[in-house]
Amino acid sequence: MPIYRQIIDQISYQVAAGVLKEGDKVPSVRELAAKLAVNQNTILKVYNELCRANVLRIERGDGTYVSSGKQTIAAAQRKKTVSNVLREAAVRAVHLDVSLEQAKELLETEYQAIKSARNKSE
Amino acid sequence: MGKYAIEIEELEYSYGRNQVLKGVNLRVPAGSIFGFLGRNGAGKTTTIKLLLGLFRPDAGTCRVKELDSQINPIVVRRTVGYMAEDQQMYGWMRIEQIVKWVASFYPNWDEDFTSRLLEMLELPSKSKVKTLSKGQNSRLALLLALGHRPEVVILDDPTLGLDPIARKDFLRHVIDLLQSNGVTVFFSSHLLYEIEPVADHVAILDKGVIIKSAKTEQLRESIRKFILTPKQRADFSSVPGILDLLTSGDNVSVTIEDCDEQKRAAIRRLSANGIQETALNLDEIFEAYVIGNRAKGKRE
Repeated sequence: MPIYRQIIDQISYQVAAGVLKEGDKVPSVRELAAKLAVNQNTILKVYNELCRANVLRIERGDGTYVSSGKQTIAAAQRKKTVSNVLREAAVRAVHLDVSLEQAKELLETEYQAIKSARNKSE
Repeated sequence: MGKYAIEIEELEYSYGRNQVLKGVNLRVPAGSIFGFLGRNGAGKTTTIKLLLGLFRPDAGTCRVKELDSQINPIVVRRTVGYMAEDQQMYGWMRIEQIVKWVASFYPNWDEDFTSRLLEMLELPSKSKVKTLSKGQNSRLALLLALGHRPEVVILDDPTLGLDPIARKDFLRHVIDLLQSNGVTVFFSSHLLYEIEPVADHVAILDKGVIIKSAKTEQLRESIRKFILTPKQRADFSSVPGILDLLTSGDNVSVTIEDCDEQKRAAIRRLSANGIQETALNLDEIFEAYVIGNRAKGKRE
């Protein structure tokens, strides 16, 4: 998986699970790049993409914050994003001989875990 | 200011009868972090020494910030911060002494910056160089390369011999100190997983020529591996840009470069029933280019 994708996933996860909350300030591009030893342009790309997905928002001259999460992206687009990721999971499941039933169960467990982590932190 | 910090054209160099560089062409965009990849003995260090004007090329030119390395070697070396591979420093000197000593070679040495660096890089200025750990040693070499605030920094395998944590720590400093300030960083390495997160461009040097130079991300995006059945293999041979073809059991895996949408669509058309497509990491890409079982006659 490309590095920028991994970082996107990690930040998205932290927001979804409520570890990062609305209005929290995230590190600057420069800080995060230095912390992770990753090229600044990669972090810039991550932040831009997360802004487009409305996970983060950039306040010019101030910093980058966790967004309110109000959806500005069309439902179809959101579905497509999820479906792309699930496709990868499906490929793995087929290869590793995990049944559809088991895969569904796993998805549900993960989903619930994130939801309950989020509720706890609220 | 030019678009490129480093430009190399048709560079050739031989050690006796052994021609190491056979026409190297390379352009390093200003402000980029550029990973210069190649196996041991590929000619990375030779290229760097030519860049600095330390050797005289058999043919070709190289320029740093539009200065020809052969015509203006001293100015080039003043413009560049250079950290040699496994850099040797006088063991009997204390850190503060070696810093002063190196500073004396540079009219534009920045003392304030250097003292801040000593602190940031956690270098004990009273210690003797011979007592330093490998990690401290490489941080000291970095400091000595940066003290005159160069716009271009050339690091020859800077993390050689460091443990994984010290390596990451070193790269962190490179990003924080250099990329943040718009400095061009040209660094060689054969540790690809190390280059991947840090470099925005990479070039692969093999057998004396650059066989690929691209943005790291584009390179990753455009090289794909397809897994197919032996029956489909014949159809595939017409596809251009095959880097590697490997048969194992019932599967044939083909690695193809420059996979744009068009090529992908063509490949998908070749076989309606499920070809698997995967992306490769930089290690695998390097392997495909350098030791790939490529279509005959491509490079020879």
